[in-house]
Amino acid sequence: MQVLGLASSLVDDTVLDGSRHHRRTSGTPVDGTAVADLEPMLRRIVVARLGDHPAAEDLVQETLVRVLDARDRIEPRMLEPYAIATVRNVMATMWRAEGREERNRHRAHDPGVPDPADAHLLEEEERLALRTAVGRLDRDERAALVAHDVDGQDTRSLAEEAGSTAGAVAARLSRTRARLRVEYLLALEQVEPPTERCRSVLLAVSAADRRRQRELGAAQHLLECEDCGRLSVPLLRRAPARDDETRVAISADPDIVTARRAARAVAARAGLTGADLTLVATAVSEVARNIVRFAVQGEVVIELLDGPRPGVRIVARDAGPGIADLEQAQRDGYSTCAGLGLGLPGARRLMDDFDIVSTPGQGTTVSMTKWIPRRT
Amino acid sequence: MNDGPALVSILRQGDTLVASVHTALDDSEMVRFQEDLVRQIGEHRARGVIIDVAALDVLDSFGSRTLRTIAEMARLRGALTVIVGIQPAVAYAMVRLGTGPGEVPTALDLEEGLAHLARARDPGGGGSVR
Repeated sequence: MQVLGLASSLVDDTVLDGSRHHRRTSGTPVDGTAVADLEPMLRRIVVARLGDHPAAEDLVQETLVRVLDARDRIEPRMLEPYAIATVRNVMATMWRAEGREERNRHRAHDPGVPDPADAHLLEEEERLALRTAVGRLDRDERAALVAHDVDGQDTRSLAEEAGSTAGAVAARLSRTRARLRVEYLLALEQVEPPTERCRSVLLAVSAADRRRQRELGAAQHLLECEDCGRLSVPLLRRAPARDDETRVAISADPDIVTARRAARAVAARAGLTGADLTLVATAVSEVARNIVRFAVQGEVVIELLDGPRPGVRIVARDAGPGIADLEQAQRDGYSTCAGLGLGLPGARRLMDDFDIVSTPGQGTTVSMTKWIPRRT
Repeated sequence: MNDGPALVSILRQGDTLVASVHTALDDSEMVRFQEDLVRQIGEHRARGVIIDVAALDVLDSFGSRTLRTIAEMARLRGALTVIVGIQPAVAYAMVRLGTGPGEVPTALDLEEGLAHLARARDPGGGGSVR
């Protein structure tokens, strides 16, 4: 009869009285439906104190359960006062619990950010990938890299030991690092390159060796080969940004506008003016449209040329179906998609140099150049 | 033309529609422009259409073809189209490219375009149509 101590003074006496009475006259049990009938009243009491507190309904039910449990001991006359005392008691218990939680909340505060569950796993994977990559280097390469980057030996003393020059050692170290980056990515992604070309292309990209990239047709390979396309992203990102080259990925209509704007900007920087800028932008528009229409995906690269003659070179390449009959495609009026057939021949007329290479099933590359007129 | 600043505005003046292209349009925007304009010709019972392309820095083969298509569709709907505002550099590129507005009449600017439409409708009142 814990209820008795906590009930308010008004109800207290009544309940006390009732329980005494109950002890005297056992029997006449309270009906379950009579308890259920108390629910609306209990809810009114709870809502009056708590409003729309989320626990309000719980408290009503909790009270009903307690009253039901105790109904054998309650005389029917005392049922209502007993229920009122109980609901007050239940509310008081909740307030006390909330107060305790509030007071102690600061103790539960943990200022540290917990590690994500997989952080450890990822770290381990990266460590393993690096170990595999280092393992794939030649023994000499590895020794030189460790001596320089880990032990801090300078290139001059390394050169003396190897009977070489400091410059040659530095160049070799830089090649080794380029290889290490490629091998690390391959190991991390657990990719075995699908073709023989992949490794050399990735290496050229990693070393930012543009001459080698051109020899290998690296750009075309990156479009064709899904693995290399993905792996080259971090390699390309770390290469120093070049202000004389702009690359626009082409896959949808808005990219055509982006490409021709970029071309106009680069051409203006190269020193082209007036109508020539419009010619370049229009030509880029035509070749970029060909990519969207026929190949779905590709890129347009706009490049400044210094010498022997200054100019702007546009390379549009895709890994699409290719053009079966190049001669026909370059003839005026030939069109396969409700165009005017002016795309390629039109672009050729707008530019100074125009060259197209296409292999059915592998893709098409259009290179075109606008030379900057000599100023007199 | 639903989000961001309007790429194209189509205004009505009397029974003439004046369509101004405000910025470079990509191919799908160009096609939408075509659909909007042809629809409005019907809605406003327009007799003349002026397309102002002064803001365009490029009119490539697709752009030129779309303008020709608009003009032809407008003609079939009973409206005469004039293209105004082709920039000198754009005109040069169109000649080199081998595209052009074809049979569609052109005029230097909006004023000339309106005068052209007026003459075309009342041949007695002024000079020749083209």
